[in-house]
Order: sequence, then C-alpha cells, then structure tokens
Amino acid sequence: MTDQTRDLLGNDLSADEREMLDLYARLKDMSARTDLPPVATANLKQAMVLMWNACNDLALLHEEPGCD
Amino acid sequence: MSTESPYWNPKTETLPKDQLRSLQLLKLQRLVDRAWHTSPFHRRLYERAGVTPDKIRSLDDIRRLPFMTREDWMACQAEKPLFGDLITRPQDDAIRYHLTSGTSGRQPLRVLDGRKDWSWIADMWCYGFWGFGIRPTDKVFFAFSYGSFIGFWGAHYCCEKIGTLTLASGNMNTEQRVKQIVEMGVTVVCATPTYALRMGQTAEKMGIDLKKDGKVRRVVVSGEPAGSIPAVKQMIEDMWGGKCGDTAGMTEIGTIMIFECDHQPGGPHIIEDHFIEEVLDPDSGEPVAYGQRGERVVTSFGRGFIPLLRYKTKDLVCKVPHSTCDCGRTGDIYEGGILGRVDDMKLIRGTNVYPRAVEAVVREHSEVEEFQIILSRKDDVQDEITVKVELKPDQVDTWARLQKQLGKDLADAHEGLRFNVELAAQGELPRFELKAKRLQDLRPQYGTRGAPR
Repeated sequence: MTDQTRDLLGNDLSADEREMLDLYARLKDMSARTDLPPVATANLKQAMVLMWNACNDLALLHEEPGCD
Repeated sequence: MSTESPYWNPKTETLPKDQLRSLQLLKLQRLVDRAWHTSPFHRRLYERAGVTPDKIRSLDDIRRLPFMTREDWMACQAEKPLFGDLITRPQDDAIRYHLTSGTSGRQPLRVLDGRKDWSWIADMWCYGFWGFGIRPTDKVFFAFSYGSFIGFWGAHYCCEKIGTLTLASGNMNTEQRVKQIVEMGVTVVCATPTYALRMGQTAEKMGIDLKKDGKVRRVVVSGEPAGSIPAVKQMIEDMWGGKCGDTAGMTEIGTIMIFECDHQPGGPHIIEDHFIEEVLDPDSGEPVAYGQRGERVVTSFGRGFIPLLRYKTKDLVCKVPHSTCDCGRTGDIYEGGILGRVDDMKLIRGTNVYPRAVEAVVREHSEVEEFQIILSRKDDVQDEITVKVELKPDQVDTWARLQKQLGKDLADAHEGLRFNVELAAQGELPRFELKAKRLQDLRPQYGTRGAPR
C-alpha cells in the first residue's frame, strides 16, 4: 500500500483514497514495463491514465500530466 | 457509480474557498516550475519579465507572470513550425492533433495532446455534463462534424466515460440528424446554439414536432456566446422541449472551463480546481471587482503538452460569487456566460455595438428565423448598421409590424442609435453548422497612413 497519508489539502486519506493511490502506483509500474505483450502494455497504460485522472481530480496527487 | 450525486467530483466542487485557493496555489507553483523547465517559449517570456518559479509564493503572485497571447503563440509556431517551442513533450508522445476553428480568418493554432491530456479533457466535460443532469442511462447525440476542430470531441469521450449511449453524426445532413434523434429516442442533444435552432427549424419543415415526437430532455450548447442569451435558450427549449444549458471552452485549453449546472443561476460555473480565471480590465490589466465586465485571462492546470498560463482570451465576462447559485458548488459564475469578445465591439456613430447584444434583441422576436448584421459607410462618411432579417415562412405577414418594433427595440438597447431593418428573401441568408458568422463589416479599412488595406 502507499505510504502517503494525506491529500494535497492536508486531509487524512480515506481507506478508499489510499486504495486508489495504490492501484495507480501499481498500474504505473506495470505499464512502464517493456517485457509485456502490446495488448497488456497498451491497456495497462489506458487504465493507468484513467486512475491518474481520478487521483488528480480528487487532489490526491498532482503529477505532471504529460508523463505516461 | 453513485448516480444520485449532483456533482461529478463532490470533494473539489464543494471545497471551501480557502482550501480551493490553497489547491490552486500548489498547482500553480508546480505548473510554473514545469513551464520554466520544459517549455523554451515560457522560459523566454519569464526571463524577459524577470520572474522565476520561486517568486510564486501566493496566488497574488500570479500577477508577476507575463501574459501569454495568441499572437505570441502564432509567431512561435511560424518561427519554429509546426508547433513552436512551447510544447513540453516529444511529438511521439502525442495521441491527438487539433486546430482552432479558424472562424476569425487567422492562421489556426495547432495543438497536441498526450493520453493524460486527453483523459483530462474528457473529464472537464464530465464536470459539466454530470452537473447538468446527464446520466449513464441517457442517449447523447452529437451534431458535430468530427473534424480537426476540437469542438465536441472531448464531450464525446466524456459521454463514453459516464457510460451514456453516444451517437456520432459526422457524416449526416440536418434532415438525417433530426430523423435519427427522433428514431433513437435521443435524450440529450449537443450542438452550437445556432445549429440547435437550425435543426429545430428543419424538423418543423419536415413536419416533426420535436416536443411531441422526440424525447430530448437536455440540449447542451457550446461554441457561441448566444448559448447564454435568455431569448435564444428559450427558443431552443420551445423547439426541443428540453432544458438548454450553456458550456464554453477553447481549443487553446482543449476543453471547457465553465458549465451551467442544473440549477441554472443565469450563468456557468468556473471549474476552479482546474483553472484560475482572472477577470481584468482590458486596458489597464488590473483585476476588476465582482459584477464588473472585463477580459478573461485563463491559467489551466490540465494540459501536459502545452502549459497555458495567464492566457489573454479576449472573451468579455462578468464574474459573480458562487453564492448566487444554491447548487452548493464553490466555483464562481460568469453571469450571462461569455458576453462577447473584447475586440468585437463596433463603434457606430459614437455608440458601442456588440453583435451579441444585437442578437439578444433580435431573438426576442420569435418570427425571425435567421439574420445578419451589416456595417457599411454611406458617402465615405456616415457609418450605417443594417439588420437583415429572414422570417419564418408562416410569419411573412408580420413584417410591417416587426420591422417597426425591431427597429425601436434595437435603438432602445443602443442609446437611440438608428438601425436599418431590412427583409431578406426566404433562404437568402447563410445557415451555419458550427460557429455562426452573422456580422459583415463592409466599411473600408484604413491603415495608419490612411491607405486602404
């Protein structure tokens, strides 16, 4: 699980928010791998981007949006 | 998905103002830092202004940043084709390429977007669509050409994200669109205000009563200031039988930055967790107070490929506090939407005339089907303004009365300025699918030396 405990506003993360950040981190790691077949990488990337969107909108993180 | 929530993002849409400001400051600091390090265009602008990222310590410090203008952007593109040096990522990382609409006749701006940009673009539309009551069970029809102009592209992807049945109609003519809207039981129609009216008029000619034969409950309009003119909205609602809601965006940010919520307080809310919207006096550059008209200057936190900071939009707006709406959102409101362009004011015999204000008066008269504003110069001296009107086929008998009344209403709204009101033949005036061009300025244009340009 993520070791982040607060959102960008300084509020404690809820259990759901922690889980979302954790999912995002896992998708980010997996989608960066170069040894997976295209079908896996491309779809992992799509899923990662959508999770980024949710985490970003909920003020859980503010990552540079250009980097996939 | 909790479809009962009135908000797409309850956490930030209802954030107390002080927390919203803290979030904006944090995002602004990171954006300035990113622009400084990855966009040579922005680095040059900031070095010239003597500002560095560490100078941004409060939201007021945004005023240390120089303005970004469309002219700068176009010059940068022309100097370093195709995209200039303001893009922050390698072109290979992009998944979308779009252009500005080109309605102003200038060189269009070229934009690129990455995966996250594109997802964010759709998400901003989700704030608007969800806020206007659109839900996964809706059937959403896009009367849009799906070309290189970004238009409703993001809204289409928003609908897929929400989970509506999404109908594209890029290949259809107006009659085919009307037919499909009725046949499929479409519940939401998206179009420019002009085209929403045109589809309604076409349906009438086809013998279709959209209120009776259709199931449309929402019409989402965008792309023209007319979307917030009450008389235009009323006409659209009378034709379609659904509520009409305004949104506004721009290719430069890729998406919408304001949307009208279901409570319809008289203007759209600003999505303040993703944008800083300043309203400034166009001449002095100083902020104007709530309730005063000024130019929109936008800073966007969403697009990765193209940082947009303090971009002078030339849109004329009037910001009022969020508390004028009781929906619970804390994003402020642009009363009356986009009121026009700072530079589209015309001076006629000493009186300021805005095309949107003329449209607001003309649309009060339901007999009018289409119109044009023509500016001319009589005997090389006197400016004339003519409103040419095409009546609905069954309203031709009303012309004598309408001509008199419309002339009076236009004069009353413009300090007594005399308008010529002329009748156009049926089908004479142009119709539009995207942004309408209803003003023709036929007056000779002179350069600084007095020679015609």
